[in-house]
Amino acid sequence: MRSSLSTFSLLQRRRVRSGLNRIRTQTPWEWARNGAFILVGLWMLSGLHYGFWRLLSYLDGVELIGGLLIWKLTAMTLLTTFSMVALSSLIIALTTLFYSSDLKFLLRSPVGIRTAFADKALEAVFFSSWMIVLVVLPYMTALAQVKGWGPGFHAVFLLLMVPFMVLACSLGIAFTLVLLYLFPSSRTRDVLWILSSLSVALLYMLLRFSEPERLIRPDALRLVAEYLEYLQAPTAPYAPSWWLTQAVSSYAHGRWALFWREAGLLCLCALGSCAALLALAGVTYAKGYSGAQESRRQRRPIDIPPGLEHRLAAGSPVLASLYWKERKTFFRDVKHWSQIVLVAALCGVYLFSIHRLPLDTPDLKSLVCFINIGIAGFVLSSLGLRFTFPSISLEGRSFWVVRSAPLGLETLMLEKFLFSLVPMLLLATLLIAASNHLLRADRFISWLSIGTIWLLTWTLCGMGVGFGAVFPRFKVENIHQVESSAGGFAYMACALALVAVTVAAEAWPVKMHFQARFGRADAWDWDWVAACAASLVLVNAAGFILPWMLGRRCLQRYEGE
Amino acid sequence: MIELCGLTKRFGDLLAVDSLTLRVRPGEIFGFLGPNGAGKTTTVRMLSGLLQPSAGTARICGFDIVTQPLEAKRVLGLVPDEPFVYPKLTGAEFLRFVGDLYGVPHPAQRRRIPELLEMFELSGWGGELVDSYSHGMRQKLVLAGILLHEPKALLLDEPLVGLDPKSGKLAKEILKRLAGRGCAIFMCTHVLEIAERLCDRIGIQCEGRLLAQGSLEELRGHGGSDGAPLEDIFLALTGGQQYAELLKHL
Repeated sequence: MRSSLSTFSLLQRRRVRSGLNRIRTQTPWEWARNGAFILVGLWMLSGLHYGFWRLLSYLDGVELIGGLLIWKLTAMTLLTTFSMVALSSLIIALTTLFYSSDLKFLLRSPVGIRTAFADKALEAVFFSSWMIVLVVLPYMTALAQVKGWGPGFHAVFLLLMVPFMVLACSLGIAFTLVLLYLFPSSRTRDVLWILSSLSVALLYMLLRFSEPERLIRPDALRLVAEYLEYLQAPTAPYAPSWWLTQAVSSYAHGRWALFWREAGLLCLCALGSCAALLALAGVTYAKGYSGAQESRRQRRPIDIPPGLEHRLAAGSPVLASLYWKERKTFFRDVKHWSQIVLVAALCGVYLFSIHRLPLDTPDLKSLVCFINIGIAGFVLSSLGLRFTFPSISLEGRSFWVVRSAPLGLETLMLEKFLFSLVPMLLLATLLIAASNHLLRADRFISWLSIGTIWLLTWTLCGMGVGFGAVFPRFKVENIHQVESSAGGFAYMACALALVAVTVAAEAWPVKMHFQARFGRADAWDWDWVAACAASLVLVNAAGFILPWMLGRRCLQRYEGE
Repeated sequence: MIELCGLTKRFGDLLAVDSLTLRVRPGEIFGFLGPNGAGKTTTVRMLSGLLQPSAGTARICGFDIVTQPLEAKRVLGLVPDEPFVYPKLTGAEFLRFVGDLYGVPHPAQRRRIPELLEMFELSGWGGELVDSYSHGMRQKLVLAGILLHEPKALLLDEPLVGLDPKSGKLAKEILKRLAGRGCAIFMCTHVLEIAERLCDRIGIQCEGRLLAQGSLEELRGHGGSDGAPLEDIFLALTGGQQYAELLKHL
């Protein structure tokens, strides 16, 4: 009989082998495609690195408090990382631990329940954290570069990231285990899942509404000493992010006793959390898994009247039917509900942040409204990554139904586009119009920002569907695997580039507008305005049409993964 | 009518289907047999437009599946080997969706869907999410979807796997009646007994190549003596007689 450890190592070897086989069987086209996207990814990471380097170099140059500011920022970055990974694991653990397709095989094999759990938990940790870690890395390399620390710093940071991520994910995994154990009934579980999302959203909003930024604004504090005290104080001292900050900081400054204490604390807690999770899984996992396999019975009518879509698009019954199917399947999946709750919270916080911006002149307010196009574009790109890009892949293994039916795949793509476009347009309009209203933007900036965000939304939705069709993944178990794939990365890179180019193209006319406001007589150069408008249209047309056409071609040639 | 002419499919170096040429006439049930990996499912996937052929042509009721895919699919029904159906739709909603895709008028759907659900003993489940269906129930639901749009040509990949005996019998009767109405049926199966009883003609495929095709009598001329069961003919043609040799590993 194998020991649990050797079984676990056997299970990991099958992952390595699968990965190697996947690499070995790649076609030249796949090599070229993946190579291109790795290059794009590296380019993006180097861009991030450059941005962080500029910021940290500036902070480092601030007299007296430069060092303190840097470590405060690092602590806050790591705390945010920890929270994001913990939140992400909450969602990923449910699908990975309880709905993976290989679980049936694992659990009927002579593999102990704890070993099977450990295998799937490791998978959950990986998928919850790899992308976030990838974004933190440029920050830390920039920090090391600014401070002149060598490779030892990077090695220590990377090593300590492992227990750090394990600790963050163990929260989400433990919550999921307990939830599934206590509430095997799927209806109760769904309600609780939504309530949990609501609680997280509420907590997030409450934290934001408490205006923590007041603490880092020196003018908000009475004495300089108070400000210095704040900078020197630990950021969430009981959170592992603070231990990691302390550990890397003390390593960098050669304070070995503190380093070993904090690093040891981090590693011991991670080991302890693993042991606690294994013990918890021994009691809860089997029952939770069994409950997760049961579907709830919910009797719905057999006689189905035509949907709203059929009445609105009577001339395109197939498109209407695809939309109707999409609406039904989307809103019946409770996992989407939790995301919608979080998006609503994000919008609330977004508008609150705009409202609380300390701006005093109308010109500055209008300028911020222009810059706001870029921020709203970033939000829409992220939502596109979450909702639009995976929409083709969400057809899943049922894709054969539409593929073998008498409809062109462009009809399917058009339906996915429209299904994303309607809520995204509403959200984009809300974010921009409400921001403009709150900041009392002038008429020119208001109309420009509304028009631009509509154009961007249109293009981002088309781009999301196009990229989703170029990189379909119908066999994934977890939507996050679609988002965090090479295709998701490529979409996000192109979407952010589109937003940046769009805002840059409008910068000239906006500059002329402000010059006119400040009284310059010949502020408007209409040739420049025409050139900017043309480049704006061209970039957005290319951003829509190219991925769309490529996606349609790839989807028509799709022959399986 | 289903016509294949030199239909070929390559996956890199692997020749999955090699110049397959055959014809299934209206009203005929054609059984397509072969060992695992013979290229049966690949053939069905090419015929239904899920895969692009590397060479050759396939025509469904005269429409080329590559150059006239919509016309071909409009008259075609498919029962795949794995009946994956949208898990968050109810059975009745799935049928409604299929009906819409194939242009079945809504009044006809509202009349036919309850009838079809009843026929497959799914009336009590028609309002439940497909999520909660067993494999056999999903298979029956897909068959019901086929009957809803009444195709002129039907492709079935292991259609009776997972069905209980009563449903299996029902499915066989349905296939006979569809054939009686002029539907051309192309059916992959491993169950030789079903092929023997149900099919008018049988093709045996191995390693991508069609080894023999014809009625049971004609096949006996290829690989068996008079009155030999299909199993013997199949094993003789596909080299499966070596099973005794393989058993030494047991």
